[in-house]
Amino acid sequence: MIKSTTVIIIILLGATNICGQELTADQIIQKVDNLMNQETVYGKMKMTIVTTSGAKRTFEYESWSKDWGEKNLVRYTDPPRVKDQAILMLNNADDIWAYFPRTNRVRKLATHAKKQKMQGSDFTYEDMGSGDAFITNFTAKRLGDEKMEGYDCYKIELTKKKDVNSYYSRIIMWVIKENFVPVVLDYYDEDDPDRLLKRLVQYDIKEIDGVPTGMKMVMYNKEDNTQTSMEMVEVKYNVPIKDEMFTERGLRK
Amino acid sequence: MIYDFRITILDFEFKYSKRSLFSCYLIFILIALLMLPASGFGQKVEIFGYFEPQLMGAKIKNEFYQLSSNKLRVDLQFKPSDKVAFGANFDYITYHGKTQWDILEFLPKSVIDEAANPSFLGIDFNPYVLPFDDRQFLDNAYLKLSFKYADFTVGKQQLSMGTGYVWNPTDVFNQKDMIDPTYEQPGHNALRLDMPFGSGFGLTTIYAPTEDWDYSDVLLKLKGRFSHFDLSILGIQKHWKFTDARLFDPIFMNFIQRDTKRQILGADIVGELLGLGVWAEYAFNDVKIDDEMDKYLLALERFSPPHLSIIRLPSMEIPKNYYEFVAGMDYTFDFQTYVMCEYYRNTLAKSDYKKYNLNDWMQLLSAEKKAISQDQLYLFIQHPATDLINVGGSAIISISDNSFALVPMMTYNVFENVDLNLFLNFYFGKEGTAYAKNLGNGGMVRARIYF
Repeated sequence: MIKSTTVIIIILLGATNICGQELTADQIIQKVDNLMNQETVYGKMKMTIVTTSGAKRTFEYESWSKDWGEKNLVRYTDPPRVKDQAILMLNNADDIWAYFPRTNRVRKLATHAKKQKMQGSDFTYEDMGSGDAFITNFTAKRLGDEKMEGYDCYKIELTKKKDVNSYYSRIIMWVIKENFVPVVLDYYDEDDPDRLLKRLVQYDIKEIDGVPTGMKMVMYNKEDNTQTSMEMVEVKYNVPIKDEMFTERGLRK
Repeated sequence: MIYDFRITILDFEFKYSKRSLFSCYLIFILIALLMLPASGFGQKVEIFGYFEPQLMGAKIKNEFYQLSSNKLRVDLQFKPSDKVAFGANFDYITYHGKTQWDILEFLPKSVIDEAANPSFLGIDFNPYVLPFDDRQFLDNAYLKLSFKYADFTVGKQQLSMGTGYVWNPTDVFNQKDMIDPTYEQPGHNALRLDMPFGSGFGLTTIYAPTEDWDYSDVLLKLKGRFSHFDLSILGIQKHWKFTDARLFDPIFMNFIQRDTKRQILGADIVGELLGLGVWAEYAFNDVKIDDEMDKYLLALERFSPPHLSIIRLPSMEIPKNYYEFVAGMDYTFDFQTYVMCEYYRNTLAKSDYKKYNLNDWMQLLSAEKKAISQDQLYLFIQHPATDLINVGGSAIISISDNSFALVPMMTYNVFENVDLNLFLNFYFGKEGTAYAKNLGNGGMVRARIYF
């Protein structure tokens, strides 16, 4: 009896010690990365672009992701102008292929294509499918804690590592302490680290299949004064997705 | 302006167009499918497409000519399961304005003398007039069956090969429009088998039957992936006709054509080098000429009136072999500007513009040749001026004869499903060169409404 009580006390003390420990920036980013890159993800998205003139353009697409974000496939379903156009990104978006149904051509794109806007939106392809880029491409540093969008958050600065191909010099990220959702991300210019280019905000955070998920995210373009919202019409985590999906054959389907 | 004709001429193949009954069949199929929604079958059928009005203008010899067209394309897709897909599309195009173009008006004076002057029942007529007649046709109609290890597609389908942007030496089925290389290509009747091996490898075989079994088109392509590069090797046999535009056959009322069999060994590669997108494509062509036409010409000569004397002209030049090579690179700057350049060499074409003859020009326009000048360069730049407007342009340069064309362009997404494209074309070469001033400066406005 004395022995078992001692064990419980030791466990409780240990747990208290862990809870009280301050997480490092790397640990926080690792948790963010684990949250964002589930083993597989299927989603149906609705993207709405609001231009400087106030005109709106809406796109709908399906996306499949596998191997913790290492493989991604995006296929547009609407409007008819872009229907069935698809983008395949492998090796954390180091290999990209685009499929154009009107010409029945698959074209391999170089990684510089990640800088291009996705259908003229405020999201670049780099924003969409870079797998664990936060860890591999950036060095993390904690900037203290702040309240953001009503949540208690860790404030993290990510600075681009040398010889990394990224559109951004640094990213400031506010991570919700409770669930490690990066609720706000500020993206800074590659050449001028003080020039804020864009801000991404996640709204309506819900738990889907046990994963806290922002059901809507909005990218505010601070330079052009435009914005693009991305709404999750449907999302499923850790569902079976065949490897065949992430091939040229899958791209053309 | 003259380069705008190329695709249209390709469809005519110097013959009077025959309106296909396929259109009637397709309309029947469309109606039948639309009548079936209650059965559940119709619910899986997707019908979409676009309407595309277009206005083309060109200044030729102080005259300004206009040609407008209206194209309706209806696409149909039916996927009853993951393993079966049916796709088809029907095109209806009407032409208005100047619908008769005399090709000789565009060509240099030095080659016009070679043109034939045929007459029928004592009346002279000009076989070099290109008519833009209204057309309706079934562009694609195919059935795709997907098995565990292969996809099998049968019917009229788009066949696109190669990694080049403007020129594709290994694409023996299509000829791209240099003004707008991304415009959709026509369907080809073929059987296609794609067998993927793993994630990056695969084998493609294509069989496109023609009238004569011996001349049917066959393609074999092996594709692989190494590091960040995709590459493929190809073996192709293609029936190829060379038109002798100097000789007009009074019996068949058509230009004399020589049948040849091209055997092609090709390869292509695409990937990334030092942050730049890079690609290259090569094809070696071995040409075998069918001598049946010689016998026909002899017979024609024997029974023709003496003034025709068509075979007294020197034989048409057809090389025994030649090669084509393309290399290109592209880059996107941080400020979103996209630049690209592509170099093209075709040894079927000539390096001295003074040697271009009537056949060279006509074979270029009929897509029998991909180039008239041996070495060319294509430069392209595009920048998103706003969220909805892209501006840019291309320069097409003939290194061989020092002529070039500039093509400023703009695309504007006017409304959700409405695109507007503007292309201008200006030529700056000496008369007789590939991009000579007399080819007709002009432009094109094209709207496209998707549904």
